[in-house]
Amino acid sequence: MAIWFYRGLRRGVATTRYPRAIDPWTRDLLTPPAFHSERLTVALADRLAGGCPAGAIRRDGLELVVDLGRCTGCGACEEIGGDTVAASGEFLLATGERSALIKRVPIAGDHGGET
Amino acid sequence: MTGADLDGARGSEPVAQELRRRAMALFGRSLHIRTVDTGSCAVCESEIRLLSAPHYDLHRLGFFFTPAPRHADLLMVTGPAIRAAERLLLKTIEATPDPKAVIAVGACALGGVYSEDEFVHGAVDRLVPVDVYIPGCPPSPLALLHGLLVAVGRLEERVATLSVDLDAEPVGRNEGNPQ
Repeated sequence: MAIWFYRGLRRGVATTRYPRAIDPWTRDLLTPPAFHSERLTVALADRLAGGCPAGAIRRDGLELVVDLGRCTGCGACEEIGGDTVAASGEFLLATGERSALIKRVPIAGDHGGET
Repeated sequence: MTGADLDGARGSEPVAQELRRRAMALFGRSLHIRTVDTGSCAVCESEIRLLSAPHYDLHRLGFFFTPAPRHADLLMVTGPAIRAAERLLLKTIEATPDPKAVIAVGACALGGVYSEDEFVHGAVDRLVPVDVYIPGCPPSPLALLHGLLVAVGRLEERVATLSVDLDAEPVGRNEGNPQ
């Protein structure tokens, strides 16, 4: 019998109290994007909407509508958006309300020029 | 978020406490989970299976996996609800005794990967009512654990205060996350 079996019995501990904190490796997890509204333009928003393979991003007037529920964290929007888009780092997103997952970001960049 | 939050319960609203007390009274501190695959790629199942490993040890929180819907309190539904699995899902839900909760797990189940066509419904809530949504492709075991605790009202939701606008006031974003 392995020695750690007896050690576990002696201490009466079957498992650790894990997870004690969020693990460091979670920062490498694929997470939904977050946007700099000041740098978003209508043209960029349309490109983001067209380039999202999951269809999680769409433009509604001067707002970017992001559905975190549909997002697969693929990173396509980060490639398209450059420094406008960054991974949010948030992955504990469970909710009882589907509408809570739909986020709206105002398009506060240069509206007139690039449309 | 710390492990203490995952172990214990947060939030002191009387309504939340009442809900928690009732859930505990109903389920007797032990919940049984049945997983239902409606055409998933099995990565969600792989993550769900990781929950019962010693690393996460779901059993310490009073959750157990059961092989039959008759014994289940929670249904974790993965996949985009393919039409071939329609009867399976409806019969599983019918066979699960009340009170029960349906959890949609993964981006497929939330409508992200497949759009509605002649093969798939595209999202689980187009077919059956869903109580808790867990996004992610796949959701990590910690995200699933968080979702289960949200399902029984032992942990408050974080997404309601989350902002994906980086220029807005950082309300609740990455709170306690070592980023």
